Amino acid sequence: MPEISVFGVFMYQSLIINKISVLFLLFLLSLTEVYAEDILSAREVVENFQAELLDVMKNGKELGYEGRFDKLEKPVSESHDLNMIARVVVGREWENMSSDQQEKFVEVFSRFSVAAYAHNFKEYSGESFKFESEEETGRGGVIVHTYLVIPDDKDVKFDYMLKKKGNGWRIINIIANGVSDLALRRSEYSSILKRDGYEMLIEKISEKIDLYSKQ
Amino acid sequence: MRIVGSKRQRIVVVFLCAQAYGLSGCTTTANQDLSVSEVDPYENINRKVYAFNMTVDEYVAEPVAKAYKTVTPDVVQTGVNNFFGNLKTINTVINDVLQGKFQQSAEDSGRFLVNSTMGLGGLLDIAADMGLEHHEEDFDQTFAVWGVPQGSYLMLPFLGPSTTRGIPGAVLDTAANPATYVGMPVQALQVLEVVNARANADGALKFIDEAALDPYVFTRESYLQWRNNLINDGNVEIDDDLNEALLDFDEALFDEVSDAETEPEGSLDNIKPIPVEDASEAVKAQSIPNQEF
Repeated sequence: MPEISVFGVFMYQSLIINKISVLFLLFLLSLTEVYAEDILSAREVVENFQAELLDVMKNGKELGYEGRFDKLEKPVSESHDLNMIARVVVGREWENMSSDQQEKFVEVFSRFSVAAYAHNFKEYSGESFKFESEEETGRGGVIVHTYLVIPDDKDVKFDYMLKKKGNGWRIINIIANGVSDLALRRSEYSSILKRDGYEMLIEKISEKIDLYSKQ
Repeated sequence: MRIVGSKRQRIVVVFLCAQAYGLSGCTTTANQDLSVSEVDPYENINRKVYAFNMTVDEYVAEPVAKAYKTVTPDVVQTGVNNFFGNLKTINTVINDVLQGKFQQSAEDSGRFLVNSTMGLGGLLDIAADMGLEHHEEDFDQTFAVWGVPQGSYLMLPFLGPSTTRGIPGAVLDTAANPATYVGMPVQALQVLEVVNARANADGALKFIDEAALDPYVFTRESYLQWRNNLINDGNVEIDDDLNEALLDFDEALFDEVSDAETEPEGSLDNIKPIPVEDASEAVKAQSIPNQEF
């Protein structure tokens, strides 16, 4: 039955071609994904995050605290290197924590960071962010200088420090009008760890998260 | 150091250094058990003064500032702000010059002249509309530019945070403020200025209350950073302590990476040497402790 075999070969071929094309498409897709991740510059990471913030601020009232928290959780954890921030913030005490304690601290600290954003960026009155410049620092860091423009008020300088993690940039510090969030938290947390210990630190952070959620 | 002018200036600097060291030397033996920060050897006393100040604020300053805000129209509040701000411009000009910022001193002189005349004795800030920005300079910043060390952090009763260097700075600032020498009506108005300043700080104080896990440390760190930022004229400068922390972090990561790479036990093939790039990075990092980041 030559006809059938010809047909069979044809079927077989088209199947292969299909498979190849599907594979090729998948390959292309994965390429663009890698490509897209790679080309997200430090500036873009910051600007995307700021856009998300403004978006949440604009819908702040309707979203409520819970809504803002849920909407910001992903953008915050994707643009910030929360693991690193949590670790730098406790300083040398990190090594004295058990791995369970470390894990718990990173978890609570991450929640606190999102909660702080959800609490502080709750309403919109015409604010916008303005990119100023980008500056490379030693040892693979970048500082993105931006301004928060508030109508009828002085601009607030927001400098973002970023470091490369994998092939993407992550925010590791925000310096608002010269006050470094990382340095501030670091002094605060190491002081509490030294005076009151680990449990108290976790308790204090949890209290703040609670307070933020109620206001 | 930008400028070290005449001999007299040098003598002043030396005197102030001596004073700063002397002051910090005489009580360093105070209990250091719980103080964590090197800049704050008197933390225990400072915390008590801070608690006192917060009580005064809660029962006196805040209610008065609130009343002032509700009673006084915004125009008057801005007027009070502008008037005393304008008198302080003289101090700004002096310190511009002492720090060698001649361009800025010309701008600030212009500000003072414009606001004192067209701005009705300083009540209106017309210079700002003309594009002459307000600069913040004082003797503490000048001393810092001259290389006088900051000294210890001090919490002063009623006056709030300062440093060993900040006290002589504040004394000279007061001496260079014409409001100090003018007679009664202006001096009475100075009370208004304090109330006004408290009213303006309302938002910031509320923020500290909300955000701080330890308001005392939060106040100390933000005060010191804010002063440093003024001294550096807004240029980002990462402090050494944080630098070290980031270096530590890099090293820890580096250790982890090399641990992870040597971890798989069994065949010797699995043990890879430390990647050369990473190793050189780490060495570089250790040898240049003062680099940014």
